Amino acid sequence: MRQPRLSLREQPLPGGQPLAFGIGLLIALIVGTLLLFAAGHEPLKIYSRMFEASLGDPDAWAKTVNRAVPLGLAGLAVAVAGSMGLWNIGAEGQIMAGAIAAAWVARIGGDWPGIILISMMLIAAIGGGGVLAIGPALARAKLGVNEIITTLMLNEVAIRLVQWLIHGPWKDPDSYNFPLAPMIPDQARLPTLFSRAHFGLLIAAAVIVIASVAVRHTAWGYELRIAGSSEATARYSGISLSKKILTVLVLSGAIAGLAGGVELTGTADRLTETISNGFGFAGIIVAALALMRPSGVAVVALLFGAVQIGGQSIQTLGVSSSVSTILQAFVLFGAIGAGVLSRYRVVLDTDARSSNKELSDD
Amino acid sequence: MTEASLIGLLFATVSFGALLYLAALGELLAEKAGVLNLGVEGMMAVGAVTAFIAGVELQNPWAALLVAMLSGALLASVHGFFTVGLGAEQVVSGLSLTILGLGLAAYLGKDYVGLPPGAELVPVEWGGLSDLPWVGPILFNQAPMVYLALLMGLTVSFVLSSTRLGLALRAAGESASSTDSAGHSVLGLRLSAVAAGGALAGASGAYLTLSITPQWAEGITAGRGWIAVALVIFGAWRPGRVGIGALIFGGTLALKTRLQTFGVDFSPIILSMLPYVLTLTILLIISVQARKRPSPAPFGLGLAYRREER
Repeated sequence: MRQPRLSLREQPLPGGQPLAFGIGLLIALIVGTLLLFAAGHEPLKIYSRMFEASLGDPDAWAKTVNRAVPLGLAGLAVAVAGSMGLWNIGAEGQIMAGAIAAAWVARIGGDWPGIILISMMLIAAIGGGGVLAIGPALARAKLGVNEIITTLMLNEVAIRLVQWLIHGPWKDPDSYNFPLAPMIPDQARLPTLFSRAHFGLLIAAAVIVIASVAVRHTAWGYELRIAGSSEATARYSGISLSKKILTVLVLSGAIAGLAGGVELTGTADRLTETISNGFGFAGIIVAALALMRPSGVAVVALLFGAVQIGGQSIQTLGVSSSVSTILQAFVLFGAIGAGVLSRYRVVLDTDARSSNKELSDD
Repeated sequence: MTEASLIGLLFATVSFGALLYLAALGELLAEKAGVLNLGVEGMMAVGAVTAFIAGVELQNPWAALLVAMLSGALLASVHGFFTVGLGAEQVVSGLSLTILGLGLAAYLGKDYVGLPPGAELVPVEWGGLSDLPWVGPILFNQAPMVYLALLMGLTVSFVLSSTRLGLALRAAGESASSTDSAGHSVLGLRLSAVAAGGALAGASGAYLTLSITPQWAEGITAGRGWIAVALVIFGAWRPGRVGIGALIFGGTLALKTRLQTFGVDFSPIILSMLPYVLTLTILLIISVQARKRPSPAPFGLGLAYRREER
């Protein structure tokens, strides 16, 4: 029986990951066309609308960029941990922790001047995200507890913390009993750059550049990547693994926290339970598509932001938002599959047993 | 607290417990074979919606349950294809599966929102047993899914501990290469475990829309898939302990909506953090103990297996 099997390519296919992402988009486009046809829509009309709404004019670009900012920061948070082979699945919760901390500063600093208030809010956000990551970081560094599960669990805790705050202690007395936190002061809003694109773009870009340089071009980053590729090598070369794990995971949480702070001062009026809107999970995907390279995160975040904004825009044409969710998932799976196939090729074995024997003869 | 409200609380504890248990057993099967599937929430949503749709269209609750289980298995197989077949990163694929499942569920169910159910799984009558005080209304007046969950728990426990299949499955999760050398198909074992896990997650979703809240609404799974993932760790990958955990976590779900009726001045939102906080605590205890004895987690959990790389 001929049985397909994967064999490692001597060299990955040229174009590798961008190509994989492109193939993912193509697959999503095909599946999307079928879905749209099935639902009785005109796919071409829908696609041109998606393009216009996300990249068609400066206003559209502003929306896409504003979406790319939290996606990029969350993606960077995951990628920084990923450079060392760690999984921060908790960006979603850390974003909320960051937003909570920033909202708290906005509560106490209502009469501070704008630049001080915003700076303090963002610093608090960094701290909030970092604090939520300390537990998983310590547990992983000192006890070897798998960080995937601990960070995942803390997401659920963080969202409930936000819910509790806006249903209880932080409920706006003027909200007619709706569970809403009060609006942040006017001077706490980030200034805009063009159209409605806010200053967060520059913050995110700066942080991504700094992190890319730190991971790619410093001794610290070099040790990080060594530890990521082989624990044993890292140990032999005297790198303190537990200290590295601790700093990297807390740093990762802090970057995600910053995303929450930027989101609060940039696009949201107040702390809400949807302040993260799945950015933390999307960030994992952004980072994975960027192969955990901080420098690749910006491009992927921008593309992903455009897909999300385009997907939202077609709801006015009567296309349910679930179609864009499904399309996102297909981009992901398409890219995951293409990513694997850029590194492996499929070979047909004439007999699975015989290849097994070959190997054992080696 | 009246007797009736206490009975109501315990009844809901058992039914929520069974709901969580079904999904957690599925995740346990997949993880025992070495595959972490973070798509439980998505598979539950698809199970819930397909069960509801099949109920409306076929007017038969058992056919609806079957459809939900098949849909869950099919969706899980997407994860199986990418992680087992291609060896892709399990975390990324699993999260993508949750996104896909939630999207698919919303898409498929949009014409069924607010419709009356076409079929329901009604409580089983156990004759005299159902009339017993306390025990009767709590244990012997439940929907069939509760007894099915118990049966599945016993089956999974038996298969894993006492059959050759279970041994091979566990071996695939502990050491894929030696399982391969022993002549078992790691691919086949892992794919089947993932698909079976999806079927159980689908059944759990079906329990929601065929019995607990017989209607369809987007977001009906409300994060319970994540609790199921937590439960597997809480129960240290053992079907029995996972069952006990399911009752505890089910209790917090049941208590959440009843705190006010009991006149307890405690935020139900804070209470709903409990399953996650408990799981984190247990995880810490396990890892402190792990210094003396081996961790209960399958050794090969999360690791792809490609024969030529062993």
